[in-house]
Amino acid sequence: MEQKRNDLLISPFLIMFIIHSNQVGVGILGFPRYIAAYTGNDAWIVVIITGIIFQVFIWMMYRVLSDGSFDIIDLHNKWFGKWIGSVFNLALMMYLLLGTIVILRTFIEVIQAWMFPELATWIPVAMYLLLTYYVLAGGFRTVAGICFFGVLIPMWLVFTATAPIKFSTFSNLLPIMDHSLKEIALGTRQMTLSFVGIDILLLAYPFLKNPKSSRIWAHMGVLLTTLIYTMVMVVSLAFYSEGQLQQSIWSTLIAWKVVELPFVERFEYIGITFWCFVVFPNICLTMWGASRVGKKVLHIKQKYFIFILITFVFIACVMVVNRDQVDYLNTLTSIIGTYVYYFYIPFIFLYSTIWRKVTRRI
Amino acid sequence: MKWFKRGASEKPSTLEEMVKDLKQSIDFVSYENKESDQSYRLIYFASLIDPEQLHRDILPVIKECESKSLEDLKGILPIENIEIQSKLSLIQERLLEGHVAIQLSRGQKVLLVNISLRKSRDLSAPEIEFSVMGPKEGLVEDLHTNMNLIRRRIPHPRLRMKEITVGTVSKTKVVVAFIEGVASEQNINTVMQRLEDLDFDIISDSSFIGQMLEDNSFSVFPQMIDTERTDRITGHMNFGAFAILTEGSSNALIGPINFGQLLVSFEDYYLGWNIASFFRIVRMIAILASIIATPLYVAVLTYHYELFPSKLLATLISSRSDIPFSPVIEVFFLEVTIDLLREAGARMPTKVGQTLGIVGGIVIGTAAVEASLTSNILLILVALSALASFTTPVYRMTNTIRFLRYPLIGFAQFLGLIGVALFGLFILTHMIRLTSFGNPYLAPLYPPRIKDWYDSFFRLPYVMQKNRFQFFRGNQSTRFEDKKKKAKHSLDFDEQ
Repeated sequence: MEQKRNDLLISPFLIMFIIHSNQVGVGILGFPRYIAAYTGNDAWIVVIITGIIFQVFIWMMYRVLSDGSFDIIDLHNKWFGKWIGSVFNLALMMYLLLGTIVILRTFIEVIQAWMFPELATWIPVAMYLLLTYYVLAGGFRTVAGICFFGVLIPMWLVFTATAPIKFSTFSNLLPIMDHSLKEIALGTRQMTLSFVGIDILLLAYPFLKNPKSSRIWAHMGVLLTTLIYTMVMVVSLAFYSEGQLQQSIWSTLIAWKVVELPFVERFEYIGITFWCFVVFPNICLTMWGASRVGKKVLHIKQKYFIFILITFVFIACVMVVNRDQVDYLNTLTSIIGTYVYYFYIPFIFLYSTIWRKVTRRI
Repeated sequence: MKWFKRGASEKPSTLEEMVKDLKQSIDFVSYENKESDQSYRLIYFASLIDPEQLHRDILPVIKECESKSLEDLKGILPIENIEIQSKLSLIQERLLEGHVAIQLSRGQKVLLVNISLRKSRDLSAPEIEFSVMGPKEGLVEDLHTNMNLIRRRIPHPRLRMKEITVGTVSKTKVVVAFIEGVASEQNINTVMQRLEDLDFDIISDSSFIGQMLEDNSFSVFPQMIDTERTDRITGHMNFGAFAILTEGSSNALIGPINFGQLLVSFEDYYLGWNIASFFRIVRMIAILASIIATPLYVAVLTYHYELFPSKLLATLISSRSDIPFSPVIEVFFLEVTIDLLREAGARMPTKVGQTLGIVGGIVIGTAAVEASLTSNILLILVALSALASFTTPVYRMTNTIRFLRYPLIGFAQFLGLIGVALFGLFILTHMIRLTSFGNPYLAPLYPPRIKDWYDSFFRLPYVMQKNRFQFFRGNQSTRFEDKKKKAKHSLDFDEQ
């Protein structure tokens, strides 16, 4: 652990913005369809259940991290030794990079589908990655600042999401709880992709002032995400019929079309424009996390390692050319994310509990 | 000192050589009186000294002086700041500051008497930062007058003024003024250190120092406030900032600042808090609108015309139907015209400038629309955004706002609304990273310091401004003591 410098740390309540901004990404623009495929009108219950499960994950993570001020990279090395620890850390890095690629490429897919059908992928990718470098060069405080504004600036869009209520039939939600547990479980697994992102806590923890007191804010972050997702889900279920929802890939975007302003006809354009601010913190955080691993495990300066990462992400994003591949990438991330959350986090939780007991006895 | 190539190689070694060297200037005087027992010599720059003082206070004393030593003369002369000096470089320096050197016997020793002539213009009302309410008192070019103006406003022993000389050739005197205890020591140390490290030949104005002291000199955002208003200077010093006064400059520099303070007119403090808050919010909206209005026009008309409802689109199309250019060319043409007008207006004498405004604004504007070079909707947008950009109370910020729209127009043409958003992200990141003397530029917004919000985007009444800004990290945290609340008046409504 490097020497803690007070001027590099951030206020504990900013973890709320970090966690929330890393959870909300492109998924929210289209997730109702995938969940409703399993659970139909009960999809909103799935959102709440997943939210609660993720609160438990936050609790577990804080239990894991609560001894001193280490991040997961140090803990891996401590628990498993240098070699196996490094394997874990590099796997973590690849997972974070996959996150970057998925969110960036999916968002560019949205831009291409809605605004610029003929836009070459590499142009926005390059611009985003250059911006990411500029943010990361400002240190973690800048990254946290981007998260803060990335939540605040687009926050007003929440109000526009309620516009379709005028045209909704809330009886669509009835009858409540007419799906089997298995269907709910499948929906929850599908929902996990939209909730992943709290793993950044494992890396950001040592950068918080009074990290222990930040737990309540981390819970608030997940709560905010859950509230927004539930609202979007309820509005989507009430606005679309079940069959219609299955045919709308970007259901939230389509619902935006009904927003009426005196001088704006197609509101989703403004929505997508502001979504640039939502997506950017995700990219910054995951790239920051990956470069931290590079710094601590491979002992390459973050300054240089980030160039390697940028090149890698750039090539990976450009190689994904069509909608099917983007979909495949999302499914892949969803599966990996499920394993990470439902196996890895409980595993480190148990391991650290046992480790603590064993070392205390000695 | 590469500036004086010759001077550096031929440094005079005796007083005689120095006098001979300086004699090449017409304003240099070396007067020798060789009357029997009263031999003395005066050396001075006639252009720098006050001849009246020389004739009234110095010459009679020398004439009547019986003694032959400089020490005795030093005792009799009715002037402060006299020193006996034999070091050549110091003598030359003092001569150039307006001292007169008196020599009684041959040798290096001289008596240096300060009788420098101080000429400055009278005080006048601030011209750049005009205000309807509040004191109309602006700084002048004379350092002493400026120090006097500030000291009179804060007659407190803790008001410190530290002097430092910068500029290897101009030897400009710079004073850093601050209130001890209110300003944080760290900030004062930083600025003193940077002033000491400053290495430049001629400092023509305080803005030279401002540019050299900034944390990030590549940024287009000002990291210090240039002001000529004495109330603004003392007001900021009371927050915990320091002011840098420069000899020969009618502007002081205030630092550290944050971005919000660039949008604050000091008149806001003279108006009621609710009215002032309203104007601040109007100003912020105006600035945002000023930057993005024309880029949005380019973005929407080039890529996203579906964004407009059909009625509005019809109006737009009919006003643009005759125009042979793409929106971006049209916008560039008009924006450059506005900047031309502004630039011409700034270089012209005031009266000509007014005429220019009328000619430029009305004639060029109307003619351009009639010749169908631009649409009249764009003309309205450009005029409004130009107007909005001049609502900023700090002149350098106005320039920043006028500048920022050009790259933004480029991005809007390149990637439409996405380009505008990406450039917005770039500016946001830049501002998060920017610091003013190590203090975050976007504070109190980020890092969030909610306790500082009472005087930021809005202003609360003075009763609620008890705490000083956390931003400046001074030692004294409150501005006044709590007193017992007294009811201002009571009505039958309040009675039990």
